[in-house]
Amino acid sequence: MIHRFSYTAPTELTDLLALLETAGPGAKLLAGGTDLLVNIRNGLVKPNTVVDVKRIPEAHAIMSDNTKGLRIGWAVTINDILKNTDIASSYQLLQTCAHDLASYQVRNRATVVGNIVNASPCSDMAPALLCLDASIEIASSKAYRTVPVRQFFTGVKRTVLNPDEMVIGITIPIQSKGAKGKYRKLKRIQGHDLGIIGVAVAQVGDGMRIGVSSAAPTPVATGNLPLDISVSDAIAVVDALISPISDVRCTKEYRRFMVSEFTRRLLVEVRA
Amino acid sequence: MRINVTVNGIAYERDVAENRTLLRFLREDLGLTGTKEGCGAGECGACTVFFNGKTVNSCMVLAVEANEGTIETIEGESSGGMLSTLQEAFDRHHAVQCGFCTAGMIMSARELIHHTPHPTVDQIQEGLEGNFCRCTGYEQIIEAVLDVTGGYTAKEELLHV
Amino acid sequence: MYENNDPSTLAYVGKSVLRKDTGEKLTGTATYVSDMVLPGMLYAQVKKSPHARARIVKVDTSKAKALAGVRAVLTGDDLDYRIGLYIVDKNILAKGEVRHYGEAVAAVAATSLEIARKAVDLINVEYEVMQPVLNHMDALKADAVLVHPDLGSYEFIEAAFTPVPKTNIANWTKLRKGDVEAGFNEAAYVVEREYDNPSVQHVPMETHVAIVRWGARDKVTIWSSAQSPFTVRNLFCHTFALPLGNVRVVVPAVGGGFGGKAGIHLEPLVACLSKQAGGLPVKLQASREEEFSLLPCRSALTYRIKTGVAQDGKIIAQKMEMFWDAGAYADYAVNVTRASGYSASGPYEIPNAWVDAYTVYTNKPYGTAYRGFGHVEFHWGIERHMELVARTIGMDPLEFRRRNALHPGSITLTGEKITSHTGDVVACMEAVARSIGYGKLTAAEKKRELASGRKIGKGIALLQKAPAMPSNTATAAVIKMNSDGSVTVNIGLTEIGQGSTTALAQIVAERLGFDIANVHVMVDKDTESDPYDWQTVASKGLIMSGNACILACEDLLRKGYAVASHVLKACVEDLAHDGENVYVRHDTENCIPWKSIAIGYAYPDGKGIGGPLIGVGSYIAQGLSNLDKQTGQGKPALDWTFGAHGIICEVDPVTGEYVVRKVASAFDVGKVVNPALLRGQIVGGMIQGLGTATCEGYIYDDAGHLLNPSFTDNKIPTARDLPMEIETIVVENSQIDGPYGARGVAEHPMISVAPALGNAIQSAVDADLAHMPIRFEDVWRAMHDNHPIDNWITKTPAGSCRSDPAARIHTPDSAISP
Repeated sequence: MIHRFSYTAPTELTDLLALLETAGPGAKLLAGGTDLLVNIRNGLVKPNTVVDVKRIPEAHAIMSDNTKGLRIGWAVTINDILKNTDIASSYQLLQTCAHDLASYQVRNRATVVGNIVNASPCSDMAPALLCLDASIEIASSKAYRTVPVRQFFTGVKRTVLNPDEMVIGITIPIQSKGAKGKYRKLKRIQGHDLGIIGVAVAQVGDGMRIGVSSAAPTPVATGNLPLDISVSDAIAVVDALISPISDVRCTKEYRRFMVSEFTRRLLVEVRA
Repeated sequence: MRINVTVNGIAYERDVAENRTLLRFLREDLGLTGTKEGCGAGECGACTVFFNGKTVNSCMVLAVEANEGTIETIEGESSGGMLSTLQEAFDRHHAVQCGFCTAGMIMSARELIHHTPHPTVDQIQEGLEGNFCRCTGYEQIIEAVLDVTGGYTAKEELLHV
Repeated sequence: MYENNDPSTLAYVGKSVLRKDTGEKLTGTATYVSDMVLPGMLYAQVKKSPHARARIVKVDTSKAKALAGVRAVLTGDDLDYRIGLYIVDKNILAKGEVRHYGEAVAAVAATSLEIARKAVDLINVEYEVMQPVLNHMDALKADAVLVHPDLGSYEFIEAAFTPVPKTNIANWTKLRKGDVEAGFNEAAYVVEREYDNPSVQHVPMETHVAIVRWGARDKVTIWSSAQSPFTVRNLFCHTFALPLGNVRVVVPAVGGGFGGKAGIHLEPLVACLSKQAGGLPVKLQASREEEFSLLPCRSALTYRIKTGVAQDGKIIAQKMEMFWDAGAYADYAVNVTRASGYSASGPYEIPNAWVDAYTVYTNKPYGTAYRGFGHVEFHWGIERHMELVARTIGMDPLEFRRRNALHPGSITLTGEKITSHTGDVVACMEAVARSIGYGKLTAAEKKRELASGRKIGKGIALLQKAPAMPSNTATAAVIKMNSDGSVTVNIGLTEIGQGSTTALAQIVAERLGFDIANVHVMVDKDTESDPYDWQTVASKGLIMSGNACILACEDLLRKGYAVASHVLKACVEDLAHDGENVYVRHDTENCIPWKSIAIGYAYPDGKGIGGPLIGVGSYIAQGLSNLDKQTGQGKPALDWTFGAHGIICEVDPVTGEYVVRKVASAFDVGKVVNPALLRGQIVGGMIQGLGTATCEGYIYDDAGHLLNPSFTDNKIPTARDLPMEIETIVVENSQIDGPYGARGVAEHPMISVAPALGNAIQSAVDADLAHMPIRFEDVWRAMHDNHPIDNWITKTPAGSCRSDPAARIHTPDSAISP
């Protein structure tokens, strides 16, 4: 890397938030680094300070209880999700999506929060989090707020975060516990690849929800659909949500077709 | 920044630039060139090493992140001139051609065997998917891993007609 | 070298001997040029063109030169050397005009990589952007922009190539056999169609890298990740007008080549930087992104085939037109065109044939050698076309191939007669057909179809290839005996992963009758100490260096026996040997250990005789000739290797998604030298072929910017992309002049994987595919008869600028005349 920056690794959240307030937009948070470090290498991001957020113990916590649901700390990695037995038994859709994200050694580094904060349209975790109605916990040195994940993304690579704010956790409500769902990602190869499109279908309580990645400027999801919604109605709802583009991975026609087709198949599978 | 890091059991204290990747730190500052760079962008796995017990693409880790941490590389895989059982299996199964992916491949295979001692072929394929090999077509690598984990059944290399 | 190859008498040939180079490669101690650091070494970086075609108005390097730590800065104006393998058309740095995206415009050497990068950023280049010519079919139009207006003045190799001045045609290879028009008139069916391949990247895991030190008195040392050290030396000396003795090329371990490192690439530029920096060594390693556009790729191909077939399914006439997209420079592409031209029909007998093969300049990154040397690309066309013709005339595709396949007595396109020891392509075809259960689905497969909703298809494709090399290609081996009785073998052939080091050790151990532990084949190459080898390319290493090694063994034994006959006081004719001793046949206790004569024998009284035992073997391709430039007739092939792939795939009839369930591959290798090495070549090549068949390829926008120069959007197969089942099959019809009967098979596994897959997909869901790669969307479109997406030049984010539709033929039905 040619770009020079300073590096700091606070060990207390309050220090980290204070730093964010003073550092301004020149500070970039480093969690897994799987996006940030590539972007610095490619000259797309030129931070003056890189703030390592992993040295604070609570960053790595996964907490599951029977009243508040599931809480994922800001530096929990994708493989942490895959190895967690509570998530395996109660929030299986998260694991299904996590499992399709990149390669094993990338999953050792990449974080769930990073996958959301990066706000890529092809986020693999977003369809699950959208379907499971996750809340994003946002903190600054002055304030704390939560934002439903469906309001978190504002555009390609854009979120509601202010420069002095950071995501400190993701909460999945207890109502989503036990949801059953499936995720299907269209890739160019069987091995690790960014999604051409991805569709998650989940039965959460008495509703059906469908989340889609790589088919709109942000990951998108339907609201609570009736459990017995017809396949054609569900497809119509999803089709209205998406606005795919053509790029080097695929044309928009095929993207639209495949979102419908995956929706159709996953609805049948989830109901089975 | 001054860092303390243990690599293959040896403690090092070094000054590194904040923007130095762990990969370049290992190769250029410590002279451990067994770990290779294939893409520099976390896609190919040639630079895979263990960082605090977990495999990572060292091109996508800053050396300063490894402060107070432990690193293991291919140079620590054999000991006293003796190849590890995994290395021996790679040799037996011709799992090496040009050798440029080999270090990373061995690291990922070791990680896989650590968390899945008796992997299926599917699990091996998944465990190694982050390590590109352009030479072998992977089959003999998979057989080598099966061999050290007890899942290998010997067969003829070729069918003669 | 026809040797006895009865397996019962062989100790090493035919056995899966372990590789000789794994001790270092498995422990991370093998040294690649990437790993090397020399005292005082500088680091180079390159300023690259962001445009496909532009006039260089001004290059301002003042800020770069002023940066502390910068030792050399060069632009095209500073250099007056042109390079080129066959047509000398490339400046070391662009002069006056850039001709492709990613072309080197300026370069710096500095005391650190960071400073070099910063310096490159500080170079300011002012361009006047010009309209590029991007599609090779457009480049053939009368009013096309000329990529090289001065083509007519370039130096080129006249014996083999025909550039056409004032056009974009860098080479026009012609082949004429019989009378095609008469053949078409006689034919019961005429089927015509066009097939496309994109450019693809070799993707060696080690990117191109070179270190050069231009020392005092023009003594130059080059350390390079290269396949062909002697070619690097020859071309380097030609460019800089240096005597060969001034330049030393060293090649240590190489992290993969696949043809991309066959020629000369970064070395001249790095040398110029070293010279300017006062002779300090300079290192330049391409980034992965640079590997895609600063360094060359595989040429794209458009292939038109018109076939006339008799009522009984025999091909009577075939007209073949190949349009190879060279990109901006000719490099190997002109020779790919030539080699593909004379092999254009694949392994079939065509009594009346017409080939026009053109290499066409465009403003894109340029093409070079790539495993298969054109045969992967044109076999996609030929083997899809054979399928189409068979379907059109209502004949089983396998039977149609059988009727037309080369067999003993057949005459090839260039007039060569096939014999029983050339190899048997039909045996390969039948072996893979059996392996995949061609032509029908088993009960289990039918059940699987019903359960999964996916359609199962089976397809087959054949292939052939001979080494593409000069008719007088030569190599040599030197075998030196050490004082412990072991031998050290020097050859100029490089070890790029293919395993030649090990296979040649087996041949030497076999021929000498020595324990293979006592045979050391040197891995690192050095033009100053190794004997000449033309290049490590063309699947000719085993056959040519193998023969040279056998000759060197003979020479060594002869010299050893001469000394032993004195010492043992016996006739040479009465001597025999084993791994330890030379002995008298009828008096075996009268013997002398090899180690006692290895560096000269000392009699008990102290007198010496003999001296170091060194065996030398030289081998040159024999019986080959240049091809007639008007008719293409002649003998270009040292050995033809035939093969076939059979594929079972499972296709989703709604979405076009598919998985490859099984690949069976068969080759007539003459003689297997090392089964495990061979399987590594077959599976590795097949998977590389599957990569280009399924997902790899360059994608440009309509300004000629490469849109996918990284692993993010140029995927290659991973461990998860293996077929569920792989079968590797060998046929062994000895090559009479091959070592122990062996012939080359390094490139062949990659050839015809794509058409076997295309044919399997067509048999599953009737998707008629004419372009590679076969992405799921392509299958989906083909199933619905939608226009294929224009793969290789797309507007951003959508649309296309494909060539004039009138210039293309995509109507097989209308082209069929009764």
